Amino acid sequence: MNAGPAIALDDIRVRLGEVDALLDVTLGLDTRTVAVVGENGSGKSTFARLLAGLLAPASGRIRVLGLDPARQAAELRRRVAVVFSNPDAQIVMPTVAEDVAFSLRPERLPRDEQRRRVDAALDRFGLTALRDRSAHDLSGGQKQLLALAGAFVREPDLVVADEPTAYLDARNARRVAAHLLDEGTHRLVLVTHDLALAERCDTAVLFAAGRVEAVGRPADVVAEYERVLSC
Amino acid sequence: MLSLYRPGDGPLHRMPAGPKLVLILAAVLAVSILPSQWWGAAVAGGAVVLAYALAGLGDGLLGMRELARQVVALRWLIVVTLGAQLVFLGPEPAVSNTARVTAAVLLAGLLALTTRVTELLDAVERGLRPLERLGLDSERAAVLLTVTLTTVPVVARLAGEVREAQRARGGRPGLRYFAVPFLILSLKHADQLGEALAARGVR
Repeated sequence: MNAGPAIALDDIRVRLGEVDALLDVTLGLDTRTVAVVGENGSGKSTFARLLAGLLAPASGRIRVLGLDPARQAAELRRRVAVVFSNPDAQIVMPTVAEDVAFSLRPERLPRDEQRRRVDAALDRFGLTALRDRSAHDLSGGQKQLLALAGAFVREPDLVVADEPTAYLDARNARRVAAHLLDEGTHRLVLVTHDLALAERCDTAVLFAAGRVEAVGRPADVVAEYERVLSC
Repeated sequence: MLSLYRPGDGPLHRMPAGPKLVLILAAVLAVSILPSQWWGAAVAGGAVVLAYALAGLGDGLLGMRELARQVVALRWLIVVTLGAQLVFLGPEPAVSNTARVTAAVLLAGLLALTTRVTELLDAVERGLRPLERLGLDSERAAVLLTVTLTTVPVVARLAGEVREAQRARGGRPGLRYFAVPFLILSLKHADQLGEALAARGVR
């Protein structure tokens, strides 16, 4: 049933208002980690939202983990987690543990199972001691770790991270990157301006003006991006 | 209200959120309909002291330390309510009305002090479920209530950021210069939060 690549886009066009945010995008991505790079407004975040089912294409065909986001939205949401750049906008519940547990609400798990998974997620992201703290009182780095805990507690098959290190200092950015890239078996689509981080992925995609400019080995794609930047 | 929850194992902590919500709602209604007389004020005050003492808040002073903290937090509400009514209604109705309003808020505060928002969310969702026959989406309504509550500190922070940005640029304080950027920031936050909720499986 799921014979194609994990992420398959065929002639995708996404319009935001009067603007084509993505145009003629055809991609097949099947490596575990994918970096998405490009200038501001190039379509990276639109691409990330498209994969997460948060945007619908105006035309074209898309499959994520073999699922059609338009018709299998609930299943897609269950298997795909999203981490955004602004950690404040991802906090829904007042305390750390409750915010992580909120991600499990759609699954209607037994209370014990829910608690076990929340505890495991808090432990994994070093938040156990902060579990009863007000989520809004955390530091920026801690908030982003909380966002990661909220994403990973659902044990997703694919994590879409849209500039997850943008608001963080170097130490916290490294911690977040390590969690995303080095741990677990999940697939990752990482939108980033950090080219060193992009080079740690298996594949990279370069967007420019809503179109795919290059796809391939991260070193090659980053070199192409550097070339574009120097023009 | 959001960061008010105090972990504990008193009687109110142990009580399920649904019955607790109904009990506190009944108590709030009861103090609200007390007459505007001196004895009404005394009963409202006594009810609050008794409720905090019996709640088992574990503050070492039979709930009185927490009660004092809550009263201090409400000081401006008390001052404004009392002051305005003293001018127009006289001492007895002013004190009594202020005591009843303050008692109602303090009693409602017990819910926040002893109930995790998750439990409240579940209780509201269960309570609204019968209305699903009338087309109400109980899950969405409960999440809406929770998100509204949890967004209060964010909106307060956004307001602070706008004021800071104004000061940093030497701008004159004024409602127009505050309202427009504050509204834009709030709407942007609402968009982002909506996406985050959708990404976390909220329909």
